[in-house]
Amino acid sequence: MDLTATPEQETFRAEARNWLEANVPAEPLPSFDTAEGFALHRDWERRLSDGRWSAVSWPEEYGGRGADYLSWLIFEEEYFRAGAPGRVNQNGIFLLGPTIMEVGTAEQKARFLPTMASSEIVWAQAWSEPDAGSDMASIRSTATRDGDHWVLDGQKIWASRAVWADWCFGIFRSDPDSERHRGLTFILCPLDAPGVTVRPIRQLDGDTGFAEIFFDGVRVPVENTLGDEGRGWYVAMATAGFERGVSLRSPARFTEAAARLIELWRTHADPADLALADAVTDVWMQAEGYRLHTYQTVTAMLDGTPIGSESSLNKIFWSEMDVRLHELALDILGPEAERMHGPHERWVDGFLFSLSGPIYAGTNEVQRNIIADRVLALPKGV
Amino acid sequence: MRFAFDEDQRLFADALRKMLAEQCTASQVRAVWDDGVGHDPALWARLAEMGVIGMLLPETDGGLGGSMVDAVLLFRELGRAIVPGPVIESMAIAGPVLAGSKWAAGIASGELVATAELDGTGHVPHASVAHVVLTPEGLLDLAGAEIDDAGGIDGGRRLGIVRGGGLVDHDGRSTADAVDLDAARDRAAVATAAYLIGASEAMIDMAGEYARQRHQFGKPIGSFQAVKHLLADALLKVEFAKAPTYRAAWSVATGAADVARDVSMAKALANEAAHATSRAAMQVHGAIGYTWEADLQLWMKKVWALERAYGTTSWHRRRVSSAVLSS
Ligand SMILES: Cc1cc2nc3c(=O)[nH]c(=O)nc-3n(C[C@H](O)[C@H](O)[C@H](O)COP(=O)(O)OP(=O)(O)OC[C@H]3O[C@@H](n4cnc5c(N)ncnc54)[C@H](O)[C@@H]3O)c2cc1C
Repeated sequence: MDLTATPEQETFRAEARNWLEANVPAEPLPSFDTAEGFALHRDWERRLSDGRWSAVSWPEEYGGRGADYLSWLIFEEEYFRAGAPGRVNQNGIFLLGPTIMEVGTAEQKARFLPTMASSEIVWAQAWSEPDAGSDMASIRSTATRDGDHWVLDGQKIWASRAVWADWCFGIFRSDPDSERHRGLTFILCPLDAPGVTVRPIRQLDGDTGFAEIFFDGVRVPVENTLGDEGRGWYVAMATAGFERGVSLRSPARFTEAAARLIELWRTHADPADLALADAVTDVWMQAEGYRLHTYQTVTAMLDGTPIGSESSLNKIFWSEMDVRLHELALDILGPEAERMHGPHERWVDGFLFSLSGPIYAGTNEVQRNIIADRVLALPKGV
Repeated sequence: MRFAFDEDQRLFADALRKMLAEQCTASQVRAVWDDGVGHDPALWARLAEMGVIGMLLPETDGGLGGSMVDAVLLFRELGRAIVPGPVIESMAIAGPVLAGSKWAAGIASGELVATAELDGTGHVPHASVAHVVLTPEGLLDLAGAEIDDAGGIDGGRRLGIVRGGGLVDHDGRSTADAVDLDAARDRAAVATAAYLIGASEAMIDMAGEYARQRHQFGKPIGSFQAVKHLLADALLKVEFAKAPTYRAAWSVATGAADVARDVSMAKALANEAAHATSRAAMQVHGAIGYTWEADLQLWMKKVWALERAYGTTSWHRRRVSSAVLSS
């Protein structure tokens, strides 16, 4: 065990820090859930990618740096420390990209990865449906084969950033006689294709951060199939390890937020209020604990231990911590917290967004079921 | 940067786990409770022989010269089996304090059992099975002392009220002046945190096993979501107490600047995890969990004793708080 950074890691950290200091916009960008903010975030992604910082853990040939997971964690620490913008193409770079690298053809890699790294194409994830939420295997949108094309029909919902995104990656039932996890196919589809209608949905904060996507006889070439036909479920799960377990929410996001919370406590709280001080301390310990836990997980992964149900533990842990952290910020602000667009807008926004954490990426109840079944080996329930 | 144990450390912990699975079973722990001694000399000898008791003592004293990083997984295994007797007190507190003294070789070989009392309670854990007690005033030689049982909740950790016994000072000074008692307390807290994690893992296993066997409404109770989620939540707390505990061991071993903060974070989180796990495990057992008969009580009582020894949750949280909130 050695919890100090190597000289190479320090060099990498310094390089990232220098670049970010020179390039991160001085003023925070408007939310990427607005038309203007989305465009500015895309510009930022282009800049990141020009500096080869948009996908550090990707291989160099696709625009990355071939950095290992520990370096990725270091980059994330510097990224959040610098207060750099949110990642508008995160569903592409952190979820679809690694999936393409794992199961995509050489043509698909060459075609999709570089434009993803540069965010020339921003991706939306179109998995959920009105009747397929937690129960994702009950997907009903269909893909019907017509020569060398798929014809897509049906409805997806809750697709983050789909309002202004360029392409989506969806899962469709390609075998009409199939049930549940079988007979689904993973298909990539441009959102400006004829027959696609995107209907924005306003979120709790009032912005249209996600959307419904209607497919009405949309034709896409079969080359847009990712992985084997009928294996869409398994393609979707292929990268469920690191991508969902760790990279969806890196620890730096929370250690940085906890540091800001402590700063808020120092400037706004009554130090005699020990209950509040203890609560802030608890949330700092959670953020720090998540960081340590992640370093341990990542070391194990580098040693060749695959990450399994860890991802479910992580998901519950960070999402509940994030809610707690933001609740506390509002408690510290007291009645000032009622102002949605005042000087503390970021905390109010953050609070609203934190509330979605226990829901998206598999609800925390579903994650608890997974832990009980796979880690604790309890008998299957309903 | 490498947050993992090396192969020797893992193999040693595995060997200890295997040995304890055979030589420190629940019925053996229960026997130790029942005979009123709270200690198993044969097991102690075996632990000493393996090098466990002397892990933190230098080789010149017959120890293994290990660091807290070498010892922390051993404490977790000792906790999994709720090994009775003063393992934490001998290994983490008195042993290192007495390194190089005439007592040290006896501690490492297992012939001399040392305990410690640093919490200022008036009773001494494991007094009746120990030869010497480390106290802030000095080292107490128990030869000739009178010891009354103080009725501890954990039968594997008998509490004694000591009368008499000779104070053996450190070169004419009290222990408090002669040794770094804060460091000794920090070692005790990390060792206890790891021990509590091991005990919690065992309770989760027991509750899981019970939830697979016990049927109600025609189904195993483990198929009910309320039961699943109770145990999933306990596991979550235990899993997220581990890395902070290992980091605390590393901070102790390397004398890191933030050692007080890191140790207290570990003990606070391990306390909470172990307490929550004891509650969940008992709930899953239903009325059986409330009986003397069920082995679960041995683990729960160990947890209730140790979560308040070497710093309560709120004491440790306050210590973290002063480290992280002060600018
Ligand atoms: C901000 C946000 C962004 C999102 N982005 C995307 C995206 O980009 N792409 C995409 O495809 N989807 C996205 N989603 C959708 C998300 O994945 C779903 O909301 C989620 O899977 C839950 O489905 P649901 O909303 O239909 O809730 P339901 O499945 O209807 O669940 C409702 C409640 O019932 C509980 N429940 C359901 N089943 C069980 C069970 N078996 N055991 C115990 N409790 C259960 C749930 O935990 C929840 O509390 C997003 C959601 C949000 C909030």
